Amino acid sequence: MKFFWITISLFLWASIALQAQSNYSLNGYVRNFTALGLSEPNEFAIGQNTFDLTLKGGSSRASFTVNPFLYHYYDNELEWGLREAYVDLYFNNWDLRVGKQQIIWGKAEGVFITDMVAPKDLRLFLMPDFEEIRMGVTSVKLNYYRGMHSFEAVWIPFFTPTLMPEAGSMWTPQMPFPVQPQWDYSLAQVDRTLENSELFFRYSLLSSYIDLEWMGGSFLYDDPMLSVQKQIDPLSQQLLGITLLPEYKRVNMTGGSFSLPIADWVVRGEAAYYQGREFQINNPEVPSGLSEHDFLHYMVGVDYSLAGVKLSAQLIQENILDYQSGLVKPETRNTMTFLARKDFLRERLWLELFTYIGLDEEDALIRPKVSYLFYDGVEFVAGANLFTGNQGQFGQYESNDMVYFKLKYSF
Amino acid sequence: MKTTLLTIVGSMMIFLFSPGNVQAQLSGEAIMLKVYELPTGDDTQGELTMTLTNKQGEERVRKLTQYLLNEGETEKKIMFFTAPADVKGTSFMNWSYTNGKEDDQWIYLPALKRTKRISSSGKGDYFMGSDFTYDDLGDRHPSSDTHQLVREESLDGVDCYVVESTPKDPDYMYSRTLTWVDKSRFIGIKREFYDEDGDLLKILTIKSTDEINGFLTILETEMKQVQKNHRTNMRFSNVKVNQGIPANKFTERSMTLGQ
Repeated sequence: MKFFWITISLFLWASIALQAQSNYSLNGYVRNFTALGLSEPNEFAIGQNTFDLTLKGGSSRASFTVNPFLYHYYDNELEWGLREAYVDLYFNNWDLRVGKQQIIWGKAEGVFITDMVAPKDLRLFLMPDFEEIRMGVTSVKLNYYRGMHSFEAVWIPFFTPTLMPEAGSMWTPQMPFPVQPQWDYSLAQVDRTLENSELFFRYSLLSSYIDLEWMGGSFLYDDPMLSVQKQIDPLSQQLLGITLLPEYKRVNMTGGSFSLPIADWVVRGEAAYYQGREFQINNPEVPSGLSEHDFLHYMVGVDYSLAGVKLSAQLIQENILDYQSGLVKPETRNTMTFLARKDFLRERLWLELFTYIGLDEEDALIRPKVSYLFYDGVEFVAGANLFTGNQGQFGQYESNDMVYFKLKYSF
Repeated sequence: MKTTLLTIVGSMMIFLFSPGNVQAQLSGEAIMLKVYELPTGDDTQGELTMTLTNKQGEERVRKLTQYLLNEGETEKKIMFFTAPADVKGTSFMNWSYTNGKEDDQWIYLPALKRTKRISSSGKGDYFMGSDFTYDDLGDRHPSSDTHQLVREESLDGVDCYVVESTPKDPDYMYSRTLTWVDKSRFIGIKREFYDEDGDLLKILTIKSTDEINGFLTILETEMKQVQKNHRTNMRFSNVKVNQGIPANKFTERSMTLGQ
């Protein structure tokens, strides 16, 4: 309640400041997104109409941003909400932003390494645009600036979990269980207490030689950990059933990133060390089915432009420390991404290929895309999401190949 | 001429040279060095409207606000895109150096909410789909080319030196350029760009100038792509010179806030 009144006070303070010198802008887009499955019976995998509006207003002292959205699905289901709604206060060397906001960290593209402030909407896996995958969180963000140095602190009073695919969805991850598990959400509730609030900090430097970030946080991991309860017949020792109990565990993270120009190249790197992450384990001696390990996640990548083609490649590795047998997730996982993008017709036509490659499971997600601007603000996109392999983080969706079309009007 | 192009994008200011300083006989090198070394204001700001016209006559308009600060060995430039709607909120920052170091460039995309360093290897890429490459808009030093005074002639009533510049780097995007330099003011008022095959590719023309705060300011220019018959018109407005733009305008904070 106190947070509520602080927020209201800031809104009022900002309103008064806005009266001095105001200007407003209203922008947004309307978009149709239709995806057709390539596997029989060629169902429409996504049928979505979107209305997204951003209202901004303010002065040099204060401003506000409100970004409501509305999704309409072909089955007439409506979903609406606020992607962002916040107030900014500007001072000489520092800024304060309070409200629902998307906070994005790190240098990696298409991969979440230190980018842990914003929870994710993974109900459609990685199919939506990344600005729609990252969710806003109600938070207080304080930035302090000194030259090219920037210090950021974020306090999130209310936990917001990552949205996972619903049961029965084509995007539900493969479960490594011999029987269909039951779900019990009794542990998934997170009380809105100070103890469950989250704290992040970041230092960043932007200079002519190198861009640096160093960040850390103590937070509830946004993706649920799954405790496993097995029902076993005491006589036959046969497995009768499995109950999964998703719950959210606190972890500590520290990490950093850099972006370094070398001749015509840009070399990027990012690493995060997680203390106390929990992983699923199949070990009779661990009845909860969860085992705590430190975890290392890092990436190195390069960007280059050749004959007008923007090229980018990243190599990502995940590493569970103090690995023990029975863990469901492998000790290491290696992934590569590759991007090639070129424009034609004076930035009217774009060709793009973005690919995730799982190096261990030999699986991949290949995403070719063509974008064409009929007029400024009117864009047509045709693309495909092609999964290869039959296991792994991408291969598990091998039957989800699709082509899609988007028509977007921005105003 | 490069200085002229730089000032086109920055503030388009050129200090009026005294004709009394002009030497009677100048080499091509000396003429282009004089053009390059024309003093400009320490900082400039203005709004740019860029109109792209294709061969069918269809127009697309881009608008941005830009700030430029000359810190001696480093020139910093930041642009805030305001139109069209799908690029509004995007910021671009460029730092260029007199010591030959490659430019540093960053872009902030509001959808991704992140400032990203970008490779400066794309100097031959076209700026926002216009007929200007990033290199056209940069500060190419005369020592990068060899220059020859090929003739003197009048262009629209203005007495000009015509200087041919040939790049020392054989892989440079243009095989040569011809620049018409106003004899009295030492500014380039027209430039022709020739492609790798030696054919005329583009023509840059200065269309409007004014004097602002003691500096000659180019307010309108046009680049015509003669091979594909399309053109880009750049028109500047609300140009201000030496207003004391603070150094913290050229930071990640400004890019993120879009102001």
